[in-house]
Amino acid sequence: MAYLEAILINVAIYAIATLGLAIFTGYTGLFSLGHAAFMAVGAYTASILTYFYKVPFFAALALGVILSVLVSLLIGYPTLRARLRSDYFAIATLGFGEAVKVILENFDLTQGARGLPGIPKFSTLGNTYLLLVLAIILCRNFLKTTYGRKIIAIGQDPVAAEMIGIPLLPNQLLSLGISAGLAGLSGGLLAHYTTFIQPSIFSMDLSSLVTAGVVCGGMGSLTGPVTAVALFVIIPELFRGFALWRLVFYGMLLVIIINWRPKGLFGYEELNRKNLPKLFSIAGITGGLSLFMPTYRWVIESRGYEIFALLVAGAVAGAVTVLFGLLGKGLSLALAPVAERYHSLRGRLSERVESTSGELWSEGQRGASCAVRHTPDGLIDGTTALYETARLTPESSKENEAANYTAGTNVKTPILELEELRKNFGGVVAVDGLSFKLSEGELLGLIGPNGSGKTTVFNLISSVYPVDGGTILFRGMDITPWGPTEVVEAGVARTFQNIRLFGSMTVLENVQAALHREGSYSLLEGFLQWPNTVPKVERRLRDESRRLLAVVGLEREADRRASTLPYGLQRKLEIARALALRPKLLLLDEPAAGLNPREATELVELIKRIHQDEGLSIILIEHHMDVVMSLCPRILVLNFGRLIASGTPEQIQKDPRVLQAYLGEKAYAVVR
Amino acid sequence: MFIQTIITGLSIGSVYALMAVGYSLVFSVLNFSNFAHGAIITLGAYIAWALMVHYLQVPFFPALLLSMGGAGILAFLNERIAYSTLRRRRAPSLYLMISAMGVAISLQNLLYATIGAKLYALPPVFAMDVVHIGELTISKMDIFAFVFSALTIAVLHLILIRTKVGVAIRAAAHDMEMVSVLGVNLDVLVGVLFFIAGSLGGMAGVFMGVKYMVYPSMGWITNKAYIGAVIGGLGSLPGAIVGGLLLGLLEALVSVSSLGGTSLSTYRDVFSFGILVILLIFKPTGFFGRHVEDKL
Repeated sequence: MAYLEAILINVAIYAIATLGLAIFTGYTGLFSLGHAAFMAVGAYTASILTYFYKVPFFAALALGVILSVLVSLLIGYPTLRARLRSDYFAIATLGFGEAVKVILENFDLTQGARGLPGIPKFSTLGNTYLLLVLAIILCRNFLKTTYGRKIIAIGQDPVAAEMIGIPLLPNQLLSLGISAGLAGLSGGLLAHYTTFIQPSIFSMDLSSLVTAGVVCGGMGSLTGPVTAVALFVIIPELFRGFALWRLVFYGMLLVIIINWRPKGLFGYEELNRKNLPKLFSIAGITGGLSLFMPTYRWVIESRGYEIFALLVAGAVAGAVTVLFGLLGKGLSLALAPVAERYHSLRGRLSERVESTSGELWSEGQRGASCAVRHTPDGLIDGTTALYETARLTPESSKENEAANYTAGTNVKTPILELEELRKNFGGVVAVDGLSFKLSEGELLGLIGPNGSGKTTVFNLISSVYPVDGGTILFRGMDITPWGPTEVVEAGVARTFQNIRLFGSMTVLENVQAALHREGSYSLLEGFLQWPNTVPKVERRLRDESRRLLAVVGLEREADRRASTLPYGLQRKLEIARALALRPKLLLLDEPAAGLNPREATELVELIKRIHQDEGLSIILIEHHMDVVMSLCPRILVLNFGRLIASGTPEQIQKDPRVLQAYLGEKAYAVVR
Repeated sequence: MFIQTIITGLSIGSVYALMAVGYSLVFSVLNFSNFAHGAIITLGAYIAWALMVHYLQVPFFPALLLSMGGAGILAFLNERIAYSTLRRRRAPSLYLMISAMGVAISLQNLLYATIGAKLYALPPVFAMDVVHIGELTISKMDIFAFVFSALTIAVLHLILIRTKVGVAIRAAAHDMEMVSVLGVNLDVLVGVLFFIAGSLGGMAGVFMGVKYMVYPSMGWITNKAYIGAVIGGLGSLPGAIVGGLLLGLLEALVSVSSLGGTSLSTYRDVFSFGILVILLIFKPTGFFGRHVEDKL
């Protein structure tokens, strides 16, 4: 019994540490090679406090957690600052592990390599499991808040996350802090269970166990890693003769899983009814295998026939495996009605909640119906439709507007001014002294041959690259030295030439992630899912996201995984996500690229609509000339980073410099 | 005394440089830190031990060459088994790092499980021989390690500059997709790359084995070579050399100095990682590193 208890307590302790790494590696996409070092900090702090200073157990645990969090931030800050390179953090954790070891071995208080014996045995089955369940609930709550979504967004695509205004460093540090805190807690519990710690316990082996748990359990799941690490603790107990091979096996498992089943145990999902048979089969196979050798030996001893022994052992192993498999299937089936009732109950409950806040919800509905009305429903041939939309635009007004701009007598104030903007990449001049103004509410087309610097202009405005010369004024403010997230906050949103969505999030969550600035509750409230604030705010964010999805006509796809959307819809989702940032200026980078003619027509309608309804200023980079010509009253043409022409679509189409740039000089001479 | 320390530092530093070059080569093309490099280096040392001590009495030079070849083949297999699927799938570098960690854990513990944790010495080729120059006593092994490392890196440099494969590797470091479009077989290219990195690692492993001992966790030292690569700028060949030498020198200086009566040699490794952290604060790209940008 004591033996079983020991295994179970070990499971809970390692599961807590794994949970921490699941947040850091699984969700935030950062790598740590030395998580055991954070466990060591928690373990030593808590043990020294209870052993020498007789501090109460839970207070000591809490102080251990606090110290590991502080220490993690101390090494996290310099190493995570190197943007987008988590390798440095990994190697720094390794060094940190070494530093901790050296300090522990040479410090009087920690009694060197001999370690600390006689720590009071405070960890019990009760309190370890209580803390584990608490940790799982808190982590789950956290992931369902705006704070959690920010972290998941960074894990999915750090560049896109930054471009929707999520600063990387503070959020990565938050994730690291949570992760190190849980590791510290786990270390404290471990010390007060084994009653003896020494520096060598917190070695690479321990880090490997935790990492293997996260990877095999699935990066993007909480209960998956917990289950996996439980298996990793239990299984070696069944195969005692192979202790040395345990880590060889973990390492191989890491390689196999990451290469051929990166989804992990439950396929990015949590432990649920559908996953039960899988779990039971694993348990059955390992249980069966572990029974094979003992049975074989037992039969040999009593009867002596080798073949007979093999058969009996095989039969026992097989029977156990099959039995477990059936048990899992049965349990899963038996739970089906329960799960159904739970879901319907939850559905009804949320319905009731939603009906009390009818105002907001009906607004969302209205948006949805609006969008349906706007969507062109005829299956007209795409190209002719395009020409038609081009013809339908009131030419005269377009010409007037453009004439105003070209004459420089625009009455409206410029929202964006580029002055002598320059950018070099090595010897290549990508943007060469570019200047132009964008008026409030204007829809400006930016065209030019491939490599003419159009996307670079966007990258400079949204501060992906630092500017080499010139200034960018946005609404009169000099935003040239600002960082990407500050530019977003000022009101500039963009989409990407190569679509960058948060693939494993749902369509709705993609938009919700971009609404992160409107989640007005504290981190603590988020952790507790504080009933007075969090559900209300979250509901508002969901409704707002639905409204935005309705604007682009994606409301029906809200619960789909974003990566499973067809290409054209992914482009629309990017626009919805950009709109969620409440931009004043929207930068659309080839939104029609890869769309079929019908989708392109829809897109033209959509851009027109958001331009009018939301009163946005828009710059549109596009190679589909039909799209640009039908949408933009004024067009700028870039070539080799310079502005070579600007004017109305008609002027551009006739401009000899433009024709030369697109066709080349010889072809142009022929055409002329 | 000071010059003596410098010479020790340069000799260690040149071995660091050999290992750091392996990290940088792989990083420059595949854009991830190959944490399994340490395990390959360890296995290189074990091959030399098996050839020179355990099974046969192969002389030093053939054993060195065979270890290099063996480690190169192991590195090649490492890539084929653990990275190629991820590479073709264009998985994020996090996945490659995890796979590398898996290989490192597996191989190191495979050594524990089969050969055991015992420390083995490689025959003292000329480790004991010393040269006297004035007041200096320099071990011949140190000189040999330095000279041979320098020569190898020079050869590598020539390969990268002069040969077709070298040009392809340098081009791939710039834009792997473009290189593959131009008709270079990426599988072969990456294979050659790992073979080169592995054989350099094998050489470094043998030098480490002669200088210290052969044991399963000797790959730990390579983490410092990795720091050298970061100091010089990951992905840059001259950076790896300068970074490795610099780290070796600094470590040698720290080992012999003392602070308030206590020798600092215990804290040598902590010091190296401290340098890394300080460097990352002030110059995250290292001395020769280029800033890698995603194409948007």
